[in-house]
Amino acid sequence: MPISVEELEALKGRSFPGGTYTIEPYRHWLMNDAVGDAPTTSGPASPMEIYYGAMGGLGLSLDELFAWAGATAADGPMFGEAEIEQRRPLRVGETYAVRGGITDVVRKEGRRAGVFDIVTFRLELVEPGGEVAGVSTNSFVFPRRD
Amino acid sequence: MQAGDELEPLVIESVPTEAMKTVAALLHDPNPIHFDVETVKALGMGDRPVNQGPNNMGYLVAMLGRAAGGRERIRRLRVRFLGNVFAGDRVVARGRVESVEERDGQRVADVEVWLERGDDDRVMAGTATILLD
Repeated sequence: MPISVEELEALKGRSFPGGTYTIEPYRHWLMNDAVGDAPTTSGPASPMEIYYGAMGGLGLSLDELFAWAGATAADGPMFGEAEIEQRRPLRVGETYAVRGGITDVVRKEGRRAGVFDIVTFRLELVEPGGEVAGVSTNSFVFPRRD
Repeated sequence: MQAGDELEPLVIESVPTEAMKTVAALLHDPNPIHFDVETVKALGMGDRPVNQGPNNMGYLVAMLGRAAGGRERIRRLRVRFLGNVFAGDRVVARGRVESVEERDGQRVADVEVWLERGDDDRVMAGTATILLD
């Protein structure tokens, strides 16, 4: 049985454990090399690090995040939308606090897709001085099959 | 830069499997569709690994950073995931300036962005804001 609507609704507003994320120079090099971007080990960081930092510092593994939504990787969760906002330039080598949680949940039913849930979560990367440098907002789509 | 301008596209002639393996490790992403062909076949998804969504975003970020004159000048990127990219695919990241205006004392451009797979098959679409000066 898929997660109930009540259980799904209860996720809204739930905070992640959070943690920290350091933009390691070698990881920054590898991440950029993987997408044809300049592989640097110092200076301004790619804003993709906002996503990497969010996922790396939320305090849950992907499997644990899926479990919150009553799913596993085998259920075929998919990306719906993603947004990264760079409020202040990210720096390679900097360590950021990561905080956030689930902001929205919605159950839908499509003629072809059947029942599916969209879970949206938002995380901030916070500089040591307390300023928010980046915001990552993502929605995952969870197909619900009986 | 002005409304209607096309950004210089970023072309990836053949999406490499090795990059997916690297990113699976970087993201601690255990999903085998990104590195295990046998799993991809078993799921009926073809016979090539599926690229990570963040990699597809990364192509757009690379294009935007070049257009803006630095990755630190990318203010925002929002995308919808419309389809999969597979190992060996040719993909092109594109952008078109929608507007240029002053905002909070800075000149910024709002840009329509998208990622094409093969011949104009849009697998990602969205909007971005870049700082111009």
